[in-house]
Amino acid sequence: MNPRLARLLVCLYPRPWRERYGSEFEALLLAGRGGVRASANVVWSALCEYVFPTQGGNMDQDPNSFGAILKRPSAFLPLAMSLTALAVVLGHIAMYGAAREADEGAAAHIWQLLMAGQMPVLAFFAIKWLPKAPRPTLYVLGLQAGAVLASMAPVFFLNL
Amino acid sequence: MRSTRNVVEAEEAPGTGHYSDPPLLVLASLASGPKHGHAMIEDIASLCGTRLGPGTLYGAIARLEQQGWIEPLPPEERRRPYRITGEGLLVLRAKLTILQQFTKAGLKRLEAL
Repeated sequence: MNPRLARLLVCLYPRPWRERYGSEFEALLLAGRGGVRASANVVWSALCEYVFPTQGGNMDQDPNSFGAILKRPSAFLPLAMSLTALAVVLGHIAMYGAAREADEGAAAHIWQLLMAGQMPVLAFFAIKWLPKAPRPTLYVLGLQAGAVLASMAPVFFLNL
Repeated sequence: MRSTRNVVEAEEAPGTGHYSDPPLLVLASLASGPKHGHAMIEDIASLCGTRLGPGTLYGAIARLEQQGWIEPLPPEERRRPYRITGEGLLVLRAKLTILQQFTKAGLKRLEAL
């Protein structure tokens, strides 16, 4: 197989997998004849590795790492809610302009629900994870705070 | 889930299926001594006509290693050989015994037809 293609195919795998098997796997690809079927097989296997990651040995992700904590529902849900709220505001501005309306519309209610609804989740996340892993939890909380500010910014700056 | 998929077949004669249980094939291949990936592919192809794709092979290797049924040996240049562990041998024997019983029973039924 072409060395460039082999390297590219290895890069499709998650980093922990690459660190453990990347070199020997690339050697195997280089020794093979290559071809579309082999390449497709590698692409599919790399995809499977993301969905069903191999665990154990030195591929176990630290459960208290930033990446692992960010994957917890209580960490990414508030982020998703803030970003959805931001999308609602931007969508509303794009469709109806930035003029202040006398009566609150559906977009305003959705925005309020999303912003208020994430507060208990945020509190739960902070209470659960701050004692366990303070530093990565603070990073995630910083990210969540950034997302909250980003979704609030257009509302306040445009006086919606 | 993914273990029985993505097998690159060597030759596809009509009516003859290839056995495709990559972890079992890898264990069976390593039962004759340590091998690296390419040697395993060739050995499995000669054993049962199934040519495993590189991704499928390493998917099976990673899971077998995780289960402690095979273990890596020091690398030879960039290629790393693997060998079957004692536990792996037990598992292989158990699986092959079940397959043998199944095959016997299936063939017996065919004979009765």
